[in-house]
Amino acid sequence: MNVIETIELTKRYGKRVVVDQLSLTVGKGEVFGFLGPNGAGKTTTIAMLLGLVKPTKGRALVLGHDVQHEPSLALRRVGAMIEAPAFYPYLSGADNLRVLARAGGIATERVAQVLDIVELRDRARDKVATYSQGMKQRLAIAAALLPDPELIMLDEPTNGLDPAGTVEIRNLIRNLAAGGRTILLCSHLLHEVEQLCQRVAIMKEGKLIAAGDVAHLLRRGQGVRARVQGDPGPAVRLLKALNWVASVTVQGDTILIDAPVERTAEINKLLIKADIVVTEIGASNSSLEEFFLTVTRSDT
Amino acid sequence: MDTRAMFTNLLAAEWMKISRRPMALLLLGIFLALTALQQTLWFLVVALQEGTFSSSNVTFTILSEAAIEQVKRQLSLPGVFGAMLSAINGTGGILAIILTAGFFGSDFNWGTLRVLLTRAPHRGIYLLAKLAALQLALLVAMVITIVVGTLLSLMFGSILGLSQQIDAIAFLLLPVGMLRALLVMLPYTLIAAASAIVGRSVIAGVGGGLIFLAFDVSAGSLNTIGAVDPLIRALVNLLLQPNINRLIVDNSQMFGLNQSVLTPALDLNLLPSSWQAIGLIVIYSAIFGYSAYRTLSRQDIGGAN
Repeated sequence: MNVIETIELTKRYGKRVVVDQLSLTVGKGEVFGFLGPNGAGKTTTIAMLLGLVKPTKGRALVLGHDVQHEPSLALRRVGAMIEAPAFYPYLSGADNLRVLARAGGIATERVAQVLDIVELRDRARDKVATYSQGMKQRLAIAAALLPDPELIMLDEPTNGLDPAGTVEIRNLIRNLAAGGRTILLCSHLLHEVEQLCQRVAIMKEGKLIAAGDVAHLLRRGQGVRARVQGDPGPAVRLLKALNWVASVTVQGDTILIDAPVERTAEINKLLIKADIVVTEIGASNSSLEEFFLTVTRSDT
Repeated sequence: MDTRAMFTNLLAAEWMKISRRPMALLLLGIFLALTALQQTLWFLVVALQEGTFSSSNVTFTILSEAAIEQVKRQLSLPGVFGAMLSAINGTGGILAIILTAGFFGSDFNWGTLRVLLTRAPHRGIYLLAKLAALQLALLVAMVITIVVGTLLSLMFGSILGLSQQIDAIAFLLLPVGMLRALLVMLPYTLIAAASAIVGRSVIAGVGGGLIFLAFDVSAGSLNTIGAVDPLIRALVNLLLQPNINRLIVDNSQMFGLNQSVLTPALDLNLLPSSWQAIGLIVIYSAIFGYSAYRTLSRQDIGGAN
């Protein structure tokens, strides 16, 4: 069963298309990375999935229900944290959660449970105005956990956190995922996404430009990298002429060759034969970060 | 979850928010201080005119006999009820606009509306529950004001030797007066709520509410030209202010006060009937309330601003 399904979901503000015919699915129990540069349309998509922003066209289904037509059913077991944590500064952490619990018809006993999960019990009676950014972030996750959610949407959950706080939140997400919940994770920390997510979707300027298993996408990004002395132009021209080389790009002083890693020695030999001095050559083990940068840069 | 359960849950949440809000307590404190000051001034006027503090019968003539009699009534039971309800609909109305704007606008300013609507996505019910919590808070503030005003009038009245007469009917009429006072404030609180929603901020709510109040009070001064012609009077009486004045006058009269004694410019004969006043205030409130609902139900909810 798909926990999230969007069908040609589109949001326009005037002539500006913020989300353009987005169709994607997230299955039950998945930890799904939702990536893209700033302004790609990720937050707007999440807001549409939560019924906060009305789509111009298309549909958003959450837990099998249309968010626009059956919002209560769709969002009953959904927890979300969008961008910066938002709370009533004059209320304590626990009271903020009580307000949300009451609004959603959730038993207030659940407040103590979620405060335990995010380890905020000791400061629960203090006003939110006195909380650090990390504590607010944890309280926002506690708020997302209130309805004992099947689906959790986390938009930049480690924003503004120090390294220790980031690790803490990452472990928390890992624990939540281990409990069989579906998690939609938006983050600029791609190393974090690579560690946590099984599948990712990458958006750019409102469009879905890549989606699939993390392992599969990374395999796609594998190839050969080489450095040559002087102008890389002749080397690029030589490599581009080979029919088993899919593409050649230059990043700084490095030539990235989309070709089977087994042919590294052959590439080296060809370059030397053409009087090109190779200073370094080897397999490029693409990280999600590299893959992300490649697809978001190349597709403009 | 059925609609009633959703409303009850949201009302409980909104009540928790407004009852613990420092701004609400601050505004109530300011209003009680102003009310106490007003009663102290009335007391001083009567005391100086009647030589209460003078051993040699030195008196000052500040007001006419009829006006002093009126002030004395305002300092005695049950007249103090009418005086307090008038104050609530006067200065209290301005503070109610500020409270409403803060209550509705800060959910936009802090970004908390987004979190709340994720838990309770029916915006119409959310709006209704929030308005109900606000009216409840205003009712509680009214009760506190009337209690404080009554205690002060008992104290001042005993110094001035005024007779305090209270019967069961006055107590039974008090809830009627309070509901009428609440109705008088309703269009102002609704326009402040609608402005806060349209402008997505506290400042927009305060601005919209106070600008409307200023416009309405200014337009109410057209009342004087209503004396010239019945048609003009009928048109002027379609404005909110003359209808508001009618209900405030009704509240005062219910507790034995005559507003025109202290406010000679107020010609009671030019005011619309009580039924027209109730009807028009309900219509104005419905228009403002619907505007708030329509805007909220159609707008995209963003983060903190």
